[in-house]
Amino acid sequence: MNRLFSWFGSLFRVWRREFRLVFSDAGVMIFFFGLPTLYPLVYTLIYNPEVIRNLPIAVIDHSRTAESRRLARMIDATDGLEVWQYVPDKPAAKRLMDSKEVFGVLEIPADYAKRLGRGEQANVTYFADMSLLLRYRTAAFALTNVQLELGSQLRAEAVDAAGLLVPGGLTGQSIQADSIMLGDPTQGFASFIMPGVLVLILQQSLILGATMLAGGGYERRRRNGGIDPLAVNASTSATLLGKTLCYLVLYVPLTLYALHLVPLMFSLPHVGNVWHYLVFILPMLLASSMLAMCIAVFVRERESSMLVVVFTSVVFLFMSGLTWPRYAMSSFWQLMSDFVPATWGVEGFIRMNSNGASIAQESHPYLMLWGLFLLYFVVAWILCRVAGLYSSRRRPALR
Amino acid sequence: MWKIFRQSVEYGWHRLTSRKVYLVCMTVVPLLCTLFFLDLMKAGLPLKVPAAVVDLDQSQLSRRVVRNLASTELVDVCYKEESYHSALSKVRSGEIFGFFLIPRDFQKDALSGAGTTVSFYSNLTVYVPGSLVFKGFKTVAVTSAGGVALTTLSSLGINETTAGTLLQPVVLNQNELHNPWTNYSIYLSNSFIPGVIALMVALMACYTICEEIKNGTSIQWLSQSGGSMLMAVIGKLLPQAVVFGAVGVFIQMVMYRWCGFPLNCPPLHMIAAMLLLVLASQGFALILCCAVPNLRLSVSLASLTGILAFSLAAYSFPVQSMYGALGIFSYILPVRYYFLIYTDQALNGVALYYSRWFYAALLLFIIAPLPLLPRLKKHCLNPVYIP
Repeated sequence: MNRLFSWFGSLFRVWRREFRLVFSDAGVMIFFFGLPTLYPLVYTLIYNPEVIRNLPIAVIDHSRTAESRRLARMIDATDGLEVWQYVPDKPAAKRLMDSKEVFGVLEIPADYAKRLGRGEQANVTYFADMSLLLRYRTAAFALTNVQLELGSQLRAEAVDAAGLLVPGGLTGQSIQADSIMLGDPTQGFASFIMPGVLVLILQQSLILGATMLAGGGYERRRRNGGIDPLAVNASTSATLLGKTLCYLVLYVPLTLYALHLVPLMFSLPHVGNVWHYLVFILPMLLASSMLAMCIAVFVRERESSMLVVVFTSVVFLFMSGLTWPRYAMSSFWQLMSDFVPATWGVEGFIRMNSNGASIAQESHPYLMLWGLFLLYFVVAWILCRVAGLYSSRRRPALR
Repeated sequence: MWKIFRQSVEYGWHRLTSRKVYLVCMTVVPLLCTLFFLDLMKAGLPLKVPAAVVDLDQSQLSRRVVRNLASTELVDVCYKEESYHSALSKVRSGEIFGFFLIPRDFQKDALSGAGTTVSFYSNLTVYVPGSLVFKGFKTVAVTSAGGVALTTLSSLGINETTAGTLLQPVVLNQNELHNPWTNYSIYLSNSFIPGVIALMVALMACYTICEEIKNGTSIQWLSQSGGSMLMAVIGKLLPQAVVFGAVGVFIQMVMYRWCGFPLNCPPLHMIAAMLLLVLASQGFALILCCAVPNLRLSVSLASLTGILAFSLAAYSFPVQSMYGALGIFSYILPVRYYFLIYTDQALNGVALYYSRWFYAALLLFIIAPLPLLPRLKKHCLNPVYIP
């Protein structure tokens, strides 16, 4: 019983000391507070226009008829595309494409109006620049809609002219299609990417800050002959949990800010229950902190962790399945991504935040996060023992 | 002069090989990221998106629609749900990315002409599979509607060719120039891998330069270069540039030769762009070092800008659509120019003339830090470490 009390006592001392270390280190403060407060704002501002509007395209109109002008007008009227210029031929259009004045070319053939008048199918060609897939997507979306809309208009005119009475209305279509976009109804880019990125920012900033603190500890030990004067005499488990507790306390307000306030500020999709995703994100913070403890064993300097941690943000972003869905990953990469807390954090949070899932529906990611926390706790404990970190027996207690 | 140059480069090379973490950052990280991106997205498109169908009609016509759904390559109808709610619940738990709902009395209303509406739900929370589900569902919805309309029109005595034309009077053929498969790997690997290289180059440059100041060895570093800051910087950065350049060109070789990504220009254009990207990123890092000659701050700045570059250099969301006040920042990032050169040269194969300014901008990054070197020298001669 006494040992248990002293264990809790040392846990509390580690926690208090870690607090003091965080607030006396400007570099760590940047990662713990600056990064999670500023990055969500900067990122959302970058993507905040959400969609591409009026993407400039060129039109080569070989037909030059009322019908072809009607088509160009309809395309110009879409949200996504804008007829920037009429050009006489393909080389002229290519010049505009090459100098990036336009990002697509519509070529209307000479017999366009003639074929429509004869009741034959008219083919129009669109050449899309593929440098950015979002541009292509915008154009494809607009063109498909124009094709359907123009089709039903022309059909109505033809049926009308023929004097037929067609069931299902003048358009002759008795089956209508209704498309509903879940999660991100505007198909906006910020609405899609930000919820996931917010979770990733929490994990990465925590790892960067925690490893920087550990690097500082290593430097102090190197200077003082293997003794860190600022370390608290405590067992390995108490040290690991005490530090984690400290980071957790710091990250609760930051989580509330990043996952709740930021989506509110920018009107991002935000339909989930606050309590559900706060409870959900708790094991992710714990697991991230323990992962940081595992990495920290290898960190020799305050700054060197940045060299190897920063680039992982990009890898983790892809592993989370936000850009490339997890079902399409090979089993090897799926397994690798299983070990990243943010993978499950992103998976669960985006569906709670954008689709209104409850924590019960996200039980799999939730349990995986707790599993990762336990796993990394055990791994960190073993690593620390092997590396001889935080072992109280080796050095005299300073305080 | 030559002797000092050799001495300086030898010093830089010696320092570079003294720590394993440098080797990891220069070779292992870029190569591992390349392997990751290329292998992860080797399929090109994440086809066969898991989806569900809710058939409330269970008629001959509705089953035909379900069969049509099952035969598209875009979606994989792996669940048949009995209600809207159970399907939505599957979306929420992430098992499917969308579902297709056929209403009751579908066949009766469709064939009698009373009119009916099929609905399809695509989960855009995850963009790519959501979009693919949307595309697949929309195609099936339109063709099913067309099939029924064709029958109706034929029954009115209109011959089938005319009826077919009536259904689709205008076809807008879309040609995806130079990436007809809408291959995501071609698009993302070509932008994210150079992004990682630029990030690592800048981090390494900032780290190795400011480390001298932190450790108080900057005076020794300067004296090795005969007191010339320029020589010292060249001696430090040239060995890194050689390693990164070799790694970068190797990665290009893997992408364009082995994976067969489009390379519609002479290879030299892209090799030059890669080498210039490495040097320009070093120049960019050097500017940061001169501005804040402090290890922690300069490396932090290099990380922050390097990570922001993935968004700001507009690989996914175009600069033209960003707010102007943010969009201009993309022009102070070397990797933005590399990306523009890539789309011009490798992807679209346009004349070199159109990319001239992008090469010039990369060159500018190399000479831009020169006027700032005296400031760095001042700090090197008086090394103070502020944690």
